[in-house]
Amino acid sequence: MDELINLKNVRKVYRMGDEKIVALNDINLTIYREEFVCLLGTSGSGKSTLLNLMAGLEKPTKGEIIIGKHHIEKMNEKQLAKFRQLHIGFVFQSYNLIPTLSALENVSLSLTFRGVPKKVREKMAKEMLVAVGLGNRLRHKPSEMSGGQQQRVSIARAFVGNPEIVFADEPTGNLDTKTTIEVMDLITDMAREHKQTLIIVTHDPEIAPYGDRIIHLRDGSIEKIVQNKKKEDYA
Amino acid sequence: MNRIDLIRMGLKNLWRRKLRTFLTILGVLIGTSSIIVMLSIGFGMQESYMGMLSRMGDLTTINVYKGYGGGYMDASSGRKSNEVKLNDEAIENFKNIPHVVAATPLVETWGMIVSGKNMAYVTLKGIDPNSMQHFEYKIAEGRLLEPGDNLAVVFGGGMRYNFYNERDLKRGIYTPPDVDLMNDRMVFTFDTSGGYPAMPGEQRPRYKEYNLKVVGVLQEGNWDTDYSVFMPIDTVQKMIKEKEKAENYPQQNKSKDNEYETALVKVDSIDHVEEVQQVITDSGYNAYSLSDSLKEMKKMSSTIQAVLGGIGAISLLVAAIGITNTMVMSIYERTKEIGIMKVIGASIRDIKRLFLFESALIGLLGGIFGIGMSFLLSFGLNHFGSGFFMNVGFEPGSKISIIPIWVVFAALAFSTFIGILSGYYPARRAMKLSAIEAIRTE
Repeated sequence: MDELINLKNVRKVYRMGDEKIVALNDINLTIYREEFVCLLGTSGSGKSTLLNLMAGLEKPTKGEIIIGKHHIEKMNEKQLAKFRQLHIGFVFQSYNLIPTLSALENVSLSLTFRGVPKKVREKMAKEMLVAVGLGNRLRHKPSEMSGGQQQRVSIARAFVGNPEIVFADEPTGNLDTKTTIEVMDLITDMAREHKQTLIIVTHDPEIAPYGDRIIHLRDGSIEKIVQNKKKEDYA
Repeated sequence: MNRIDLIRMGLKNLWRRKLRTFLTILGVLIGTSSIIVMLSIGFGMQESYMGMLSRMGDLTTINVYKGYGGGYMDASSGRKSNEVKLNDEAIENFKNIPHVVAATPLVETWGMIVSGKNMAYVTLKGIDPNSMQHFEYKIAEGRLLEPGDNLAVVFGGGMRYNFYNERDLKRGIYTPPDVDLMNDRMVFTFDTSGGYPAMPGEQRPRYKEYNLKVVGVLQEGNWDTDYSVFMPIDTVQKMIKEKEKAENYPQQNKSKDNEYETALVKVDSIDHVEEVQQVITDSGYNAYSLSDSLKEMKKMSSTIQAVLGGIGAISLLVAAIGITNTMVMSIYERTKEIGIMKVIGASIRDIKRLFLFESALIGLLGGIFGIGMSFLLSFGLNHFGSGFFMNVGFEPGSKISIIPIWVVFAALAFSTFIGILSGYYPARRAMKLSAIEAIRTE
């Protein structure tokens, strides 16, 4: 098994005036290539902070975060932007689509920043939207779509550049049960199909069993790690 | 992010907020066009003065007069110590000053030309026929003086109006002169009595009559030459001597040194007039050229332009603040969008370029429409405003507002630059937005 992400003694402290809030305390964690990890915890457990740190959206107060051979914590804004552009896809709870752009444009946006020519990226985006079942919604704006459809667009956007890692922060938080199952099946299938590493943050214990490994977080520390499926099964 | 996508995205963002973009562009339009129109009035003024001056004479000709030195006398000789002579040698020296094209002495005398029933009082100007072609005498008919000419003359363009019919005038009738300058017989005499009988006891000198051969007529419209008659200098000098003889004028020993009162020096371009004039005055002569007035005029018109341009600049400054305001507003609105773009891989450079492009485009569009507006206003001023502006020193018939082509390009570049400058602060703000915080804003 290839180690992909390595966290060593990661600590994150927020300052609120004079008060220090320890969001993450001495996290040591290894995530493997093509693994599907669930970060499970209640609100305030530090699960979202952990995801943000791994995605390079925030800097740790202490410790090392190594993805592949890259030290994320040492990168500057410019390098991080490039790194995210090439290696990371995102799915958010609130979809975070750009309201003025159509589904097709939203999906192809990240490719735009990579400098992919219009024809190529629209073809890629279209294929991806077809794959998530929105082949008939290409020209629709987010406001013209249901929550589930918007989340599919957002999934298509996360996967379109074929990133090595996809992060999903409460991807089903705004969805009903039926749609939740559809969306989760979609994400996991896509990740498996493209041999991607998937890291999902959730507070919903019903989602957690989708993961190969469930990491329980409480008060900024890893409470326990549950091996859901045998490593051999997904390797 | 490649350039086409940047442009496409920027245009789309501006189009999304049509009204606000339009209003901001309108601000730049007003700013740009007020600067251009204000400047164009300054250029119009300059042009009008230039026209006036060039009608007063040739801008690249320096008139040189005999120097009267500093004014102190050398006690031993009784002469002014630094008096310089304006003689043939001096003329040769003038010709050797860099940028001088030609130099000629100028001798003037006065008399009368009779042509049939018509006559005219004239100023005869003797100049060097070799150099006449170098001075800006614009010929209308015939040719200029050439070496070898003797009793040849070139008439100024306004000379035809100088002739009148003495007999008709005595009877109280004025008939417009009917003179063919080129072909009628012209006789010059120093006798200016016009045919009046001599007073009893008056001894009149017996002047010679000279049959003139008219070789050319100059164009009209130059106050300096219109009423002059040009002749080769040697002929004029000879005529003066004959006149003095007829008048029993005591012979002066001047003739041996051949000194002149005046000389003309022609300079290759208007930019060198001042320099050449300085050299001439430094060697002790008095010199005057129209560029003296031109210099004053330029100083004045650049002051006026600075004031007018300044007024225009204020409105462009207001427009620049407008751009900044629009872009800052747009950041507030698009905070979340900027956050999303950053998270999915937009580099800070992309964000900066996008904002700078949008503000530059506002500047450029404002500049383009502003130029269009300026031409409209300029046209309006030139066609309907002449009545008013004539009163404040404009020449009749001259344009009030002139927009040189370089101003068009300068205005485009400047308005775009203002756009970029105004967008710089908002762009930096957008760059510095924390992606994670931006994405959380609703």
